[in-house]
Amino acid sequence: MLTKRQNLLETIRGGKPDRFVKQYEPFALVFGDPLMALAGPQPERGGPPIVNGWGVTMHWPEHVPGSFPVHDDEHKVLKDITKWKEVVKAPPTEAPEEDWSMIKNMAAGVDRNEYFVTVFMAPGIFEQMHYLMGMDDTLINFYEEPEAMHELIEYITDYKIRYAEQLIKHVKPEALLHHDDWGSQISSFLSPEMFKEFLLPAYKKFYGYCKDNGIEIIIHHSDSYAANLVPFMIEMGVDIWQGCLTTNNTPELIKKYGEKITFMGEIDNGLVDKEDWSKEEIEKVVEKACRSCGTKYFIPSTTMGLPMSVYPGVYEAVNDAIDKMSKEMF
Amino acid sequence: MSKLQEVNAAVAAGKTKVIADLVQEALDAGHSAQEILDAMIEAMDVVGDKFSSGEIFVPEMLIAGKAMQKGVEVLKPHLAGDASSKLGKCIIGTVAGDLHDIGKNLVALMIESVGFDMVDLGVDVPKEKFIEAIKANPDVNVVALSALLTTTMPAMRDTVKAIRESGLTGFKIIVGGAPITQEFADEIGADAYARDAGAAAVKVKELVS
Repeated sequence: MLTKRQNLLETIRGGKPDRFVKQYEPFALVFGDPLMALAGPQPERGGPPIVNGWGVTMHWPEHVPGSFPVHDDEHKVLKDITKWKEVVKAPPTEAPEEDWSMIKNMAAGVDRNEYFVTVFMAPGIFEQMHYLMGMDDTLINFYEEPEAMHELIEYITDYKIRYAEQLIKHVKPEALLHHDDWGSQISSFLSPEMFKEFLLPAYKKFYGYCKDNGIEIIIHHSDSYAANLVPFMIEMGVDIWQGCLTTNNTPELIKKYGEKITFMGEIDNGLVDKEDWSKEEIEKVVEKACRSCGTKYFIPSTTMGLPMSVYPGVYEAVNDAIDKMSKEMF
Repeated sequence: MSKLQEVNAAVAAGKTKVIADLVQEALDAGHSAQEILDAMIEAMDVVGDKFSSGEIFVPEMLIAGKAMQKGVEVLKPHLAGDASSKLGKCIIGTVAGDLHDIGKNLVALMIESVGFDMVDLGVDVPKEKFIEAIKANPDVNVVALSALLTTTMPAMRDTVKAIRESGLTGFKIIVGGAPITQEFADEIGADAYARDAGAAAVKVKELVS
């Protein structure tokens, strides 16, 4: 039996995996780096809004599932993109050596023969932009102030590279799970042309740096439609696109691009991670995903950006259903 | 190209910096405010269709909407009191427990652009607030509910139920959002469902026709 690590590599290289990769199974996520704290802190559920390291006010009301940036006139950080240099200040990317001990200890405890030590970074470059100025302004500014947008993207990208440099120095990760949602369920936010002009160069630089410095696997999370951006994902160095929704026609993408990128998802959260979930329904969804996508260049997974579910038990039930399909298809 | 065609093309292409001058030129050339508004609405109809078909993306729709708004600013003094220019009134909001506003804003933009007065209640809107807004706007034609999360689909169901049980009538309810389907819309008793912002504008016009 292959190790979890070997099985992943066989899957993404089109070799001979001996079972399905079970969601995030081969990735040992390590958390607690001090730069995340400096860029945070995150608000507590039901607690008061907090201002994070970028100056963005974040709020997590008790009755909603996650925190959100507050974008009313009073709280929006960047109201005029042409003044970004005066307003936007990236958080520090230096921290005392002792502050790295938690994540270093976590990484030291990982069996690297079995797992990839995986670091997590979020928000992504595009997300950081709309955290700062709101989604509407961000999207309109691509048209109205392209020069300032290019400058701001470069500034955010350079911050992320300084951040990654420290993670690599202290943790020596082998994989990066990076979040940047690039679309809705049915379309990408940007046209491919606009994406190519603004975000592709930034990501080539960021992911290129990561790969040049020892990160073997880049997992990009975007739980959205983004089939039209797959050629750019390949060009920027993404190994695994996590969050690939069924609206992307994943089987077709695997046929077309599978040798260059692996698709992780096809089990839409909306279908399985719900109040009235059932084992039987999850098994049906997982079977359909596995049978339609096959055993190579595909990782059956919910489209959630971390190994968890909103409703208790769903993540584990999906794992059990994948085990069942492994027995049938390998 | 006629002045009206120029206005239409400028809205469709999102020419926010020239639209005000073009609208003024069209007025100076003798076109009525209603004719110019219709030309802009027609442009937004096309923008909505192109968005629904995947030909254009969110920034193109937003920039066209912004151009339309700038054009309407110039027209406003000429349209004042002219109720015939409006198709109706729409109350919109994202249901309780859901803070997502992008889709809701796009739908509001498109519905406004095709000729509706909008009452935007924002995000995380409790069912009671929808009912208050309906009572405060007795001329409302359409109530639009958005939900982006599976976790807030029950809140959408509760909101539709509460509105129905309030006994208030004279309007239609349309629902949408990533996890919402036609089946779910039917199940919770909504009058209509739209898959995206372009489709929402088309559907809302149908609902009031």
